[in-house]
Amino acid sequence: MSGEFKPSRLGPQSGEVIDRSATIRFTWDSKVMTGFAGDTIASALMANGVRIVSRSMKYHRPRGYMTADYWDPNGFVQVGDDPNVRSGHRLLEPGMTIDPQNVWPSLDHDVKAANGFVGRFLTAGFYYKTFIRPQRLWPAFEKVLSTFAPGGTVDLDTPHRLHDKRYAHPDVVVAGGGPAGMAAAIAAAEAGARVMLVEHEHHLGGHLLWGSDEDRALAAKMRDAADVAGVEILTDSTVTGRYEDNWVSIVQRNHPLAVERLIKARATSLVVAPGLIERPYVFAGNDKPGVMLSGAVRRMINMYAVKPGSRAVVLTANADGDAAVADLRDVGVEVARVVDARAGENVASANGPGRTVESVTLGDGTSIDCDLLVTAVGWTAPTSLLNMAADRPVYDATAARFFPGGPIDTVLSTGGLTGDGTVEQLVEHGRATGRLAAERSAVAKHRIQAHTARAAPVSGDEPAWPHDLRAALGRDPHPELFRSTTHGIVDFSEDVSSKDLVGAAAEGFDSVELLKRFTTATMGPSQGKLETVNTVAVLAEARGETIEEVGTTVWRPPYAPITLGALAGRIFEPVRVSSIQPWHEANGAVDILAGAWKRPEHYGDPAAEVMNTRTNVGIIDVTPLGKLDLQGPDVPKLLSQLYTNKWMQLPVGSVRYGIMCAEDGVVLDDGVTARLGDEHYLMTTTSSGAATIWEWAENWLQTEHPEWQVHVTPVTTGLCSINIAGPNSRTLLGRLCPDIDLDPDAFPYMHVRTGTVAGVDDCIAWRIGFTGELSYEIHVPSGYGLHVWNALLDAGADLGIKPFGLEAQRIMRLEKGHFIVGQDTDGLTKAPSTGLAPLIKLDKDDFAGKAELGWALDEFASAESKAPRLVAIQPTDPTVVPHEASQIVRAGTNEILGRITSSRMSPTLGRSICLGQVAIDAAAPGTMLTIVLADGTRTTAEVMARHAHFDPEGERLRG
Amino acid sequence: MTLFQSLRGSMKSNAVSRPPRYSAAGLLVKGVKQESWPRVWRDVPLKKSYDVVIVGGGVHGLATAYYLAANHGITNVAIVDKSYLGSGGSGRNTAIVRSNYLTPEGVAFYDRSLELYNSMAVDLNINVMFSERGHMTLAHTDSALRTMHWRAEVNKLQNIDSSVIDPAEVKKLAPSLDTSSDPRYPILGALYHPPGGTIRHDAVVWGYARAADHLGVEMHQKAEVLDILVEGGDGPDGKGSGGRVTGVRTNRGDISAPIVVNCTAGWATLISDMAGVKLPISTRPLQAAVTEPVKVFLPTVVVSGSLHVYVSQTDRGELVFGASVDPFNTYSVRGSLEFTEELAGHVLELMPGISRMRLLRQWAGLCDMTPDYSPVMGFTPVEGFFCDVGWGTYGFKAGPVSGEQMAECIATQQTPKLIEPFKLSRFSTGELVGEKGAAAVGH
Repeated sequence: MSGEFKPSRLGPQSGEVIDRSATIRFTWDSKVMTGFAGDTIASALMANGVRIVSRSMKYHRPRGYMTADYWDPNGFVQVGDDPNVRSGHRLLEPGMTIDPQNVWPSLDHDVKAANGFVGRFLTAGFYYKTFIRPQRLWPAFEKVLSTFAPGGTVDLDTPHRLHDKRYAHPDVVVAGGGPAGMAAAIAAAEAGARVMLVEHEHHLGGHLLWGSDEDRALAAKMRDAADVAGVEILTDSTVTGRYEDNWVSIVQRNHPLAVERLIKARATSLVVAPGLIERPYVFAGNDKPGVMLSGAVRRMINMYAVKPGSRAVVLTANADGDAAVADLRDVGVEVARVVDARAGENVASANGPGRTVESVTLGDGTSIDCDLLVTAVGWTAPTSLLNMAADRPVYDATAARFFPGGPIDTVLSTGGLTGDGTVEQLVEHGRATGRLAAERSAVAKHRIQAHTARAAPVSGDEPAWPHDLRAALGRDPHPELFRSTTHGIVDFSEDVSSKDLVGAAAEGFDSVELLKRFTTATMGPSQGKLETVNTVAVLAEARGETIEEVGTTVWRPPYAPITLGALAGRIFEPVRVSSIQPWHEANGAVDILAGAWKRPEHYGDPAAEVMNTRTNVGIIDVTPLGKLDLQGPDVPKLLSQLYTNKWMQLPVGSVRYGIMCAEDGVVLDDGVTARLGDEHYLMTTTSSGAATIWEWAENWLQTEHPEWQVHVTPVTTGLCSINIAGPNSRTLLGRLCPDIDLDPDAFPYMHVRTGTVAGVDDCIAWRIGFTGELSYEIHVPSGYGLHVWNALLDAGADLGIKPFGLEAQRIMRLEKGHFIVGQDTDGLTKAPSTGLAPLIKLDKDDFAGKAELGWALDEFASAESKAPRLVAIQPTDPTVVPHEASQIVRAGTNEILGRITSSRMSPTLGRSICLGQVAIDAAAPGTMLTIVLADGTRTTAEVMARHAHFDPEGERLRG
Repeated sequence: MTLFQSLRGSMKSNAVSRPPRYSAAGLLVKGVKQESWPRVWRDVPLKKSYDVVIVGGGVHGLATAYYLAANHGITNVAIVDKSYLGSGGSGRNTAIVRSNYLTPEGVAFYDRSLELYNSMAVDLNINVMFSERGHMTLAHTDSALRTMHWRAEVNKLQNIDSSVIDPAEVKKLAPSLDTSSDPRYPILGALYHPPGGTIRHDAVVWGYARAADHLGVEMHQKAEVLDILVEGGDGPDGKGSGGRVTGVRTNRGDISAPIVVNCTAGWATLISDMAGVKLPISTRPLQAAVTEPVKVFLPTVVVSGSLHVYVSQTDRGELVFGASVDPFNTYSVRGSLEFTEELAGHVLELMPGISRMRLLRQWAGLCDMTPDYSPVMGFTPVEGFFCDVGWGTYGFKAGPVSGEQMAECIATQQTPKLIEPFKLSRFSTGELVGEKGAAAVGH
């Protein structure tokens, strides 16, 4: 043919969805073009004469629109920073910058198209068979191979724009807004159900939109009826998944504010009505630009007024193909030949020395010049959502497509997925389905309510389960047309041909799953919607079996790919701060992120904070400390179960320290618990363990001992916690606590009192000594935290009060030799290793980790024990602070004996101090250790007799 | 053992004729002649008896069969799988390999695995696409950073290439990561392990299957084991402790065999139950997902323990994500919506620029968890019944070395030193393995 055909815009069409009064300018491949509001990118490009929109993955063959909808494997484009945009679906917007993908260096002249000439050597899976020797060259080959990655380009500066989420609790969700889906939604709503109707495309109506004027009038009428019936209509939205108990995910793309919104709906009933997806035909040249499916041609003509060709050949096996012939003729396209598959006619190849179709060779060898080849060979049933409800599709050879396997109580299907019929029949089936879905939803809700303990009692007997009395849709006979006599592309996004599939099957990859994995057929972005059935058919042919025998693959969620932005939503990752944080920030605190919290690490000079606390008095905000309020008669049993030591006899007013272990004996957490009243306790955990220990306690209560009467309330953020430490702490607190007797005899170490602090009632104060100083920890209602903090600072001004941060606290606890769970212990450290074996009471009935700790204690006591020991260590050179994680090795070797777990320069002692885990033969006091420093040099250090480097007798804190 | 001395003598003839080797030249010749390649493994009828029957056609079962044949001359071996080869964990994992473990035992074990992976392409004559692209474990907190330092220090002393790098170096290796202080969980540093990387998991399955087939091993797909035949045990039907295995019952009939090896995952306890052997294993799903392809931008494997995510980009341009195991027991391999939401949120915390990438597919695999996060390997109380199970979330990394060691265990009837810590009896003697800390830190 002379002169390459270019598609163009037709005059006004009765069904067009474009607004010719609203012109939109955009650029394509750096060329300025115009389209109309309502255009998809695809229709605008075609109206501008564009025929080649992309290059294929492996061979970089030129590709044009084939299905011209969301699923078109050839229609992926880059729109600004948005890669892999479905141009057959995305609406044109003013100023859009649209570029082709996978082209190098350009769409028109792609150097990698040379791969096409060596294609016979690059069969599916060729890479497994080469680049084996020499191995050192493989990394270089890999680099080249990876430049063939298809798809668009990620702009790493893309902002995370506004994405939102919504929870919904509809009675019925209808997936698909064609005639059957609309009818189902209307009928369900009229039956009293709350209904969401979700349509993937921009308009309700499905195939009615590109049908006759009467079809469109019906679509409009039903749209209005749905509105009147109170159906919530979501267009340009996709039901992407169906999970357990009809947990349905819907991505809404046309939200006015959010880029996308993920709707999570607990649907009592789900109606699946996605219609059918037209299937491409496999023959030589089937991926040439100019080969289009009948639906694509009809949408382009009727909805977008685009003329797809000037001289067409149409291969038709059904009424849709026939309708395409009529549509083409109506708009002045010459139909050179109608190839009727029902009469045994066939197409063997689409040809053309150039990049687009120039002629077609028929099955009988006849060659016909044309610039457009339209195929209408049947459908794929997108049964994905049904598969996600455990349905397995069944092949029907007479109708030449898969159908749903069997009915599921609250997941119904209607429309083309379930059978064929006139529009009236589809609507009637849809209505019956909608009614059934609504009735079942009502009964299902009744059941849920009747079986939910805390729900209001339901009245009346349970209604009978509504039986499925729908008249089934028929199944029209259809020729089985998958592959012609020639080989062609089966998977367009992966560039996999039928020949590749036959070869792979011969190699032994002859089950659908193996074939899929080896050739990557059906694994591309269109997820097999166009490819799966043809893949199965080619495999069946290769194996000499039927399609039923070969079976099909399982469709996994999502139904359509979802952006990470939509899934992530706003990203809710809050940082916790105490109510005193404003003061910290105003007073020079340097913050540290610690787990869920942001808190002051220090206020400028941690060493000075230590010295002031040891000399005068210091206060630290310890609000992140995990706190659980425990109430009930069985709290002692719970405590005994969780901690390794004994809790049945803890007197009211006392505080006890304990460690908790997992079932494997590994230290899980530690902390103190106070008995505030007869049946009232306050437990503290480490800051990082707060959530874990809550879950751990609930786990024991809910699964092992539901008979125990204990109520657990996490109060970590409800109480603001302040530790007052130092020689002057008693004097200070005495000035603010009129009703608590602080006399050491009345309120000794490890005891708790409740009372008023700085005018705030119901405060809890206890005496403990993490820092090694006389200290009181007070817990006040969170709202009064800042008030109490300020009151302490005011009252202590003459006592030398200064705040101290986490770092000073860490130094002081290290000076005292107190370990930190997770720092000085790790995922392997069992309780005996911490030196707290006396706290493990094996004579208790039961506690978490008891069996394992029994072994662990025996092992620990043996001379060959492999368990590490936690010991205090002092470097020989007092100025050397080995970094935490420094390895302790046997002198002169690389044999690891242990490691430094904590290390600091002690301001109190003026020397470096450490805690470390060491093997038994290096744990004896006085042992000289060899430590490998960060720079690889080695130094020596001595194992100390006791954990505490400072005040080992604890005279200061007991005072 | 005498059984195998006799086997080795008699079974040499089992090997099949040498098939064409994979090479570029081979591709060229086949391309010119337009010939197809011979079958990767033969399709042969199931016999009535074998010397060894291996249950489970994943990497572990196939590797065990291959090394039985290659290293010990035991070739009258059948692998039976209820589905297709590689249909379980072998085809569902995220294909990450590394050796920067924490305990000397863990390091020695996985380092051997990495060695075998490294030479696999040549050994098995198939390109398994081992991509030594480096493996980065991010630290978002002080304590995580301390753990990274610990691992690096241990690894240095064991000559494993592993070090802690700062955010600037992290940025250089993976520019898509947000190393600023803006994120909720800022990146404070990372443990960088250059020898770690990814491998094409299906190619490993097919490579072992093909190589084992060449040596005479038979692969039987869609052959489901319905029972394990045991006699003389002290349990019901003569099963259990003290018994001796005599074969397996399949949906295609009984097979007699003096050695039966359980190399399954997900159903390991059910298979062992058939022999009367109880395993302390619970089965949990681990979910994974993959995006649509985009041009390659992420050159290394990135792991974040705090954010429960690991990610790498395939040569095809897809991002492959994995997470931690779900906190409940199930045999279902269906994915959940919550997983994808949490995953996406965390991934965008790490790489905020990829919000427009689209999640293409999600799936789950089954993980057999033991109390100490370590496998169960070797002998069981039933004579002739061996286990290589309980691989949790890291079975793929250990596939080659497990096969090698299991083969040695079966052929020599001695537990090799490398797998001695993983014996089943440890659960009743309190000798649990201490790799929990290391295995639990992620991939």
